[in-house]
Amino acid sequence: MSFASPERAALSPRRAVYLIARREFATRIRGKVFIIGTIVAVALLALYAVLQLAVIDRINTTTTFKVGFSGSATALAQPLEAASPSLGFKVHVSDIATAAQGRSAVRAGSLDALVDGTPGAPQVVVKTGIDPALQAALVSLAKQNVLSADLSAAGLSPAAVESQIDAVSLRIDTLQPATAAQLQGPIIGFVMAFALYLFIGIYGGVIGQGVVAEKASRVVEILLSTVQPGQLLLGKVVGIGLVGLIQLGIIAVCGLLFIVPTGVLALPGAAIGAVAIGVMWFVLGFVLYALMLAATASLVSRVEEVSSATVPVSMLLVVTWLLAYVVAIPAIDAVSGGAVSPGLGTLTTVLSLIPPFTPVLMSIRMAAGEVPLWEGLLSIVLVLASIAGVTWLGARIYANSILRFGARIKLTDALRRSS
Amino acid sequence: MADRVLEIDRVSKRYGSVAALQELSFEVRAGELFGFVGPNGAGKTTTMRIVLGVLAADAGEVRWGGAPITFATRRRIGYMPEERGLYPSMGVTEQLVYLAELHGMRAPDARAAAARWLERLGLGDRGGEQLQKLSQGNQQRVQLAAALLFSPDVLVLDEPFSGLDPVAVDVMSAVLREQADAGISVLFSSHQLELVEQLCDRVGIIRAGRMLAAGSVEELRSGSAPRYWVDAPGAAAGWAGEVAGATAVRVEGSRTLVELQTTASDQVLLQAALATGPVREFRRDTPTLSELFRSVVTEEPAA
Ligand SMILES: Nc1ncnc2c1ncn2[C@@H]1O[C@H](COP(=O)(O)OP(=O)(O)O)[C@@H](O)[C@H]1O
Ligand SMILES: [Mg+2]
Repeated sequence: MSFASPERAALSPRRAVYLIARREFATRIRGKVFIIGTIVAVALLALYAVLQLAVIDRINTTTTFKVGFSGSATALAQPLEAASPSLGFKVHVSDIATAAQGRSAVRAGSLDALVDGTPGAPQVVVKTGIDPALQAALVSLAKQNVLSADLSAAGLSPAAVESQIDAVSLRIDTLQPATAAQLQGPIIGFVMAFALYLFIGIYGGVIGQGVVAEKASRVVEILLSTVQPGQLLLGKVVGIGLVGLIQLGIIAVCGLLFIVPTGVLALPGAAIGAVAIGVMWFVLGFVLYALMLAATASLVSRVEEVSSATVPVSMLLVVTWLLAYVVAIPAIDAVSGGAVSPGLGTLTTVLSLIPPFTPVLMSIRMAAGEVPLWEGLLSIVLVLASIAGVTWLGARIYANSILRFGARIKLTDALRRSS
Repeated sequence: MADRVLEIDRVSKRYGSVAALQELSFEVRAGELFGFVGPNGAGKTTTMRIVLGVLAADAGEVRWGGAPITFATRRRIGYMPEERGLYPSMGVTEQLVYLAELHGMRAPDARAAAARWLERLGLGDRGGEQLQKLSQGNQQRVQLAAALLFSPDVLVLDEPFSGLDPVAVDVMSAVLREQADAGISVLFSSHQLELVEQLCDRVGIIRAGRMLAAGSVEELRSGSAPRYWVDAPGAAAGWAGEVAGATAVRVEGSRTLVELQTTASDQVLLQAALATGPVREFRRDTPTLSELFRSVVTEEPAA
């Protein structure tokens, strides 16, 4: 008769949390939210990158127009060829013996346009329509021709007048020069904030569902006979949060890998910095919201009731996202040189220091690079303090509700009773 | 081994205006199968939850080995809650190993123990399946395995027999007996009184949160007035009533069930019977647990 089995060791709180987190992790990483979500997101990013490349390709490979000239209009061929590089297209000019020949070439598609008539009044033959750039070029060449003829008639040298005109330029003084790279900061921040909002929402939802699923299947009674409610709660938050973080990481890395080669990002370094800030705010924001969602979810006993039970918390998250616009627009204005009304600036600062709003709003502001160090540190401290508060409150609600099956429990009851 | 006793000492618990437990006391000794019986709502589940610490008592104490039970000692209790529950979509072996690890076992030992117990409970080839793919009865076997896997010192099983087919009942009974024989304290509740009578070393009868009687079935019997079946075909109706301290409880043809006051003598009753003519049967009637239960539960006025 042996009682103390040698293979059984004491279970430290840390090991209990580790075991719970490991189970959550192993279950969720094989789950639909992770696998399908990752595949869809990466596919969308790849599609975006391919589209970007295609667009850039079109812009880089400038079109070449094949233009035939006949009669005295041939005098325009040389100036058109000379002017085309500055006009954003290439031309391939050719002399056509007769207009009729040119027409049939246009009809057959071997010429894009036939220019006939005189240099001062050219007649253009095209198949279906004329490219506006080509049209503008021909019109301006014809005008120049008319102008030169008039200048000569008035006894002036067209070449001298032309060089004088060319000397005229516009001087531009930019007080706050905006580079493309600077503008990208708040935009990257905004994208990051959206990802944060989405991930906190999705994985917070997974936590809420998981809490109630354990309650609905009653497995929680067995679990709580060997671990404490706080350990169970913490293990779930850590395990599920890690899965969310990994998914966010995969998507962010794929995003950078796909998008950097397209050249859309002028400054990949800034993007990497923003991702690092985003990861920090994801961790803090997720913990804050996950605890609130788990605590409110534990008030109900059926999975169908989770979303109604967690409404106050999910509304808070939605409000945060709406406020993201309030913060992002002045941030973009600020770097693009637009005027930010001082009231809005103060509002932005204040809002982003309120803990439930901080993770999403600060990830925008920090990516825009407009946050003073003290504000950044203060926001982190405030969020950590509120996590501590929510841990205490949430663990209490969770512990008091998790074994009370049946009807929805009032929040005030869950806070008061210690059964 | 004498110190390996689970003691429930004057435990009280209220749910609002309902007094679920009122100074409930009893003990379960090492190597003992203790049957916990009582009508619905008597407080059996509440008691077990308090022992496991998933519920806090308002007053009183639960002790293990003489010391108040702690979180660490609770981890040595195998528990089968009334509301069964495991993870429906998790593999059978996978979750048994997980639960054993949560009770402090190392993974390789847990895996070996899971295989052993599944084999023993007739589920040797089902370990890889999701729990929800199993029938209700088989899920209950997995639940029992979860309670036994980590070699607990105490087993607390809330209605382990409910919903089992006769074969499963036999398996469960054999396992519980074997565990008790190995020195484990086993506390279980049940409404199947015949089974409890057969299986248990001691029985506790609870009603409205109070322990009405506790002891071996023999001890419970000795507390009730003795009854005798007497078959005296020649006796006149109502003959037993004339014997001092005797009351006829029931008459079936020529047979009479006579209850004697503890002061009355069975020899006097026999002589009175013989005086009426031939006596074909004179036998002490041993009440079943069901009969004891009924008499105890209906005798005492509700609190
Ligand atoms: N969570 C609860 N809230 C309120 N009353 C409860 C709760 N659980 C049990 N009770 C009440 O406590 C009493 C004892 O219940 P219980 O321990 O489940 O009895 P048993 O298991 O013997 O059937 C019953 O009157 C029951 O209605
Ligand atoms: Mg019960």
